[in-house]
Amino acid sequence: MSEELRVSPIETREAPGKRRFAMVVDTRRCIGCMACQVACKAEYDTPLGVNRTWVPYKVVGKYPNVRKQFLPRLCNHCDDPPCVRNCPVEATFKVEDGGFVLQRYERCIGCRSCMAACPYNARFMLPSHRSYTPITNVVDKCTFCFHRVTQNLVPACVQTCIGRSRVFGDLNDPNSEVSYLVATHATQVLRPEEGTKPHVFYIGADRNQTEFGRDAYRKPEVMELDRSAFKRHFDI
Amino acid sequence: MDFPKITRRTFLQASAGTTAAAALAPRMLHAMENELGGKDFSPVTAAERKAIPVNCHVCNIQDGAIAYVENDRVVKLEGNPEHVSTRGRLCAKGNSGMWYSYDPDRILYPLKRVGARGEGKWKRITWEEALTEVAAKLDAALKEDPNTIMLKYGRNRTGGTIDRFMKTLGSATVLNHTSVCESSKKVGQEPTWGPDIETPDFANAKYVLNFGSNILEAAYFHNPLSQRIAEGRVDNHMKIVTFDVRLSNTAGFSDEWIPVFPATDGAVALAIGHVILREDLQDSAFIDTWTNVTVDELKAHYAQYTPEWASKISGVPVQTIERIAREFATTKPATLFTYRGPAKHLYGSYNEKACMMLPIMTGNVEKRGGYCLPRGMGWPQPNPQPPGPKHDSVLAHPPEYPLASHKVSHLVPFWIAEGRQKINVAFTYQDNPVYTNPGAQAVWGKLYRDEKLIPYFISMSSHMGEETALADIILPDCPYLERWEPESMPNSLWPWLGIRQPVHKSLGESRENRVLLRDIIWKLDPDGSRGMKQFWAFKDGEDYMRHHFDNVPGLKEAGGLDFLKKHGVWPIYGTLDPKTGKVTDKTGREIQAEYGLYRKELSAADMEGAMVDAHGLITKNGKAIGIRRNGRNYVGFPTPNRVINVRVDEWAEYGFNPMPTFKRIPWHETMKDDEMILSTFKLNVHKQSRTAAVKWLAEIAHSNPAWMNPETAKKLGVKTGDLVRVESPVGYLVTKAYVTEGIHPQVISIATGFGHWEYGRLATLKLKDRKGDASHGEEDPDLNNVWWDDKGVHPNAIIPAVADPIGGSQGWYDTVVKVTKAGPNDKYGDIHGDWDKHYAAYKETMRYAYTGDLHRKMHPEMAAWAGPESVKPKASGGH
Repeated sequence: MSEELRVSPIETREAPGKRRFAMVVDTRRCIGCMACQVACKAEYDTPLGVNRTWVPYKVVGKYPNVRKQFLPRLCNHCDDPPCVRNCPVEATFKVEDGGFVLQRYERCIGCRSCMAACPYNARFMLPSHRSYTPITNVVDKCTFCFHRVTQNLVPACVQTCIGRSRVFGDLNDPNSEVSYLVATHATQVLRPEEGTKPHVFYIGADRNQTEFGRDAYRKPEVMELDRSAFKRHFDI
Repeated sequence: MDFPKITRRTFLQASAGTTAAAALAPRMLHAMENELGGKDFSPVTAAERKAIPVNCHVCNIQDGAIAYVENDRVVKLEGNPEHVSTRGRLCAKGNSGMWYSYDPDRILYPLKRVGARGEGKWKRITWEEALTEVAAKLDAALKEDPNTIMLKYGRNRTGGTIDRFMKTLGSATVLNHTSVCESSKKVGQEPTWGPDIETPDFANAKYVLNFGSNILEAAYFHNPLSQRIAEGRVDNHMKIVTFDVRLSNTAGFSDEWIPVFPATDGAVALAIGHVILREDLQDSAFIDTWTNVTVDELKAHYAQYTPEWASKISGVPVQTIERIAREFATTKPATLFTYRGPAKHLYGSYNEKACMMLPIMTGNVEKRGGYCLPRGMGWPQPNPQPPGPKHDSVLAHPPEYPLASHKVSHLVPFWIAEGRQKINVAFTYQDNPVYTNPGAQAVWGKLYRDEKLIPYFISMSSHMGEETALADIILPDCPYLERWEPESMPNSLWPWLGIRQPVHKSLGESRENRVLLRDIIWKLDPDGSRGMKQFWAFKDGEDYMRHHFDNVPGLKEAGGLDFLKKHGVWPIYGTLDPKTGKVTDKTGREIQAEYGLYRKELSAADMEGAMVDAHGLITKNGKAIGIRRNGRNYVGFPTPNRVINVRVDEWAEYGFNPMPTFKRIPWHETMKDDEMILSTFKLNVHKQSRTAAVKWLAEIAHSNPAWMNPETAKKLGVKTGDLVRVESPVGYLVTKAYVTEGIHPQVISIATGFGHWEYGRLATLKLKDRKGDASHGEEDPDLNNVWWDDKGVHPNAIIPAVADPIGGSQGWYDTVVKVTKAGPNDKYGDIHGDWDKHYAAYKETMRYAYTGDLHRKMHPEMAAWAGPESVKPKASGGH
């Protein structure tokens, strides 16, 4: 991105001397195994009912020409994140070196403005019960595994990705694998029209899929069964 | 296992610390990628977690793993980056394996039944009481006949300990679970080329035919092979074609999904072979040199299997069969993979054989990118070793199934009920036939409840599974993260040895299996006077491992067990490249596998004193060691005649067709219009029976509505969520419908792994219940967040037993059912299976055995066979 296109001073894509971490999700390699989703749950002791990353799927076509498509989802760590703009107490912020969009739990007042502002449904309210982590009843989200990346490790979901569908790295480093993939493949981001400048890039994603939100991949009837059960039982 | 109480303030300080550290860290040099694992840090305190290498054992793929421990509790599991097959990655199941250990309903103390069998009333007893009681029962049984002691295991990865135990007692009544797993695949392969499984080189293949394997969700070897499929598909532009009755994730990922009518994969494979031979696309040199038939013989034999014939049976269009045949034969290298799709039928062994003929006739065997032999490694057993039992057991080696080298354990309840063998004491270990076997609660449940047939029932288990709930006494076993076990699996093209080691002290009073079995023997033979104790002279699990591993050549020099304790696996072939995720050698290049194992030449030393017969077979000291071909001495294939046996002569002895063939299921030919076939399957996040209480997996998948095609649904007048009644010859169930384009219109498919009636409060969704007498694990506050209220319906009670007369395998996908919209009295979850009807089905399936009256009718081509009396009884084989 050239300097002229940068609309906000907090954007760090191609900013000299700064890292801009990004994830490439190569949907051609995603086998829908759900290892990423579970690895993430373990990494953060994420409670049941909420997810930092998730893998919706859609069955497309008519018998016998049918395929299954997966679209791994997570926070896009936008270069211009609407959640940061919308947080009234500066609980949500962007780390300049790296581009992580993070949450300060002790500042969060649980007003959910950020959840409403996020076009990707990537944020959620933590319930009051967790297995062992004493942070509850505040908004949480994917951190791009800030604590791992700063130790020179890839995020937990990338670490365990069986198909190596998820690739992580510094987009400002032209020699990184993510730079190579973004440069040499047709990629898509989710909801580019929102102007958020997402930093999760998809290779091979079907545009028909990427238009939907969090749950819209499964059959509406099935979703409805789960959704009504969720409403009955999940208590925040 | 208390966690330090962390306030938000301490968390803040910790995270502020890491930010500062990151800011001060030197800028990464260009092309420096973040590492792919090997370390782990707490997101809350930023402290590094202790890493302990283990071998995963949620299922049986045996991935190398690392357990990360915080405050003496495993909080994270990762793939071991030093493991050549796993390459640092684990599947969803492997990532959640710690919940086997920390399940709030885990059994942590020896328990004795106090109510009626299966009533759920338990009393905690001491180990001393438990061992005394078990030893007394064994003592009495030993006096009568050691074979009245039965042990049935499901997943036995003890590395020989279970066998040692039973041999020490002198009992041959050891039953496995392979006949409900994939045994006919094994029996289809073993006589043909030696081993019981193939290793397809997906990463380097250009074309893959997949018959009925859902490798991207389950099957051998899900994680390692899925990695290579993604690699081959994207990096190597391979094409993958999947034949399946249902759109599995594998079928949905494939370039082509070709739905087939159930049980007809074998016919399609034969027709593909027909086209290859008809159009002269075979590898004649390979066939003539390395198999026991000639190209001409093969062409003559395959002439009968026309695409028109196969198309009529399978529903696959003739043009598709012809096109796939040409593509497969002319794209090199190509490989093939099968799993339970072809094998789990009456005559599953024939189907497997028909499939494996395709890479054989195209010469893709043991080529880079082809169909390779499995690579495994062994380890020695501690000495002294107990001798084999004096008398064989009719349950372990039924004479009606002489070719079933992996037993026919799913028919055992009927044989016990018929009085073919008396049982005094029964052990169960990591098995749950009351849930997993055909007939389930209606068959195995009835057997284990019957105190006349099973007078004393011991469960070695950490969980209250459906069969453990029927036990008289429960000896609390340890989940895999608290055990010592040796391990090796041919899950990539590189052989390896690995271990499981305890990540912390076993919780409660649980004892790992090998220690528990030792304690039983020590109780039986406290002073060694009965000659049993000598085989159990080890201090603990670690000491036992030293006997296995301290003298393996190569590993010994590297440090033996101590090396494995540190690395989890040996050898280490290279380092994981963070840019590519591949294992690289010192030069930075990806490591290359060795191919053409059968073409390895024998050395002059090997040939010294060896004899070569007219067929080229090289024998030394009465043992076949290789084969002479074109003037060279090769090791050949691990079969008795060192070549691939396209013609399996042993099968002909019992009146089976020795050549590649196909038999249609007789009761499928007479199906009525309103009848369907019931098939079952595993989902990516569950295994057969032991993951329903793993919360992260249960959250992703907790119920199993019946898949049906929209065309079928329209006929029945149902939509997704509506109740349907599925009625088989042995029972019925009521479940919800899931209408999807991804299934054959004549098939209804129900996932297994759901609908538990035991296995703790999460699996049964009785979370509001008080903790049972048997549950002693620490409560998990997160279970307050369980939001789903549908646990699914388990179908096995309505699936009758079918046994492949060759391989002995259960015909899981052969059941004809009638599906109707549920009536006013049908409730979700109703399930009924009838013992008498199951018994009748068992009698029916025995008619197909070589001793049965339908055998000859099914094999008109074997009219010259002299009948069952012509076969001399053989020494029992198998394991």
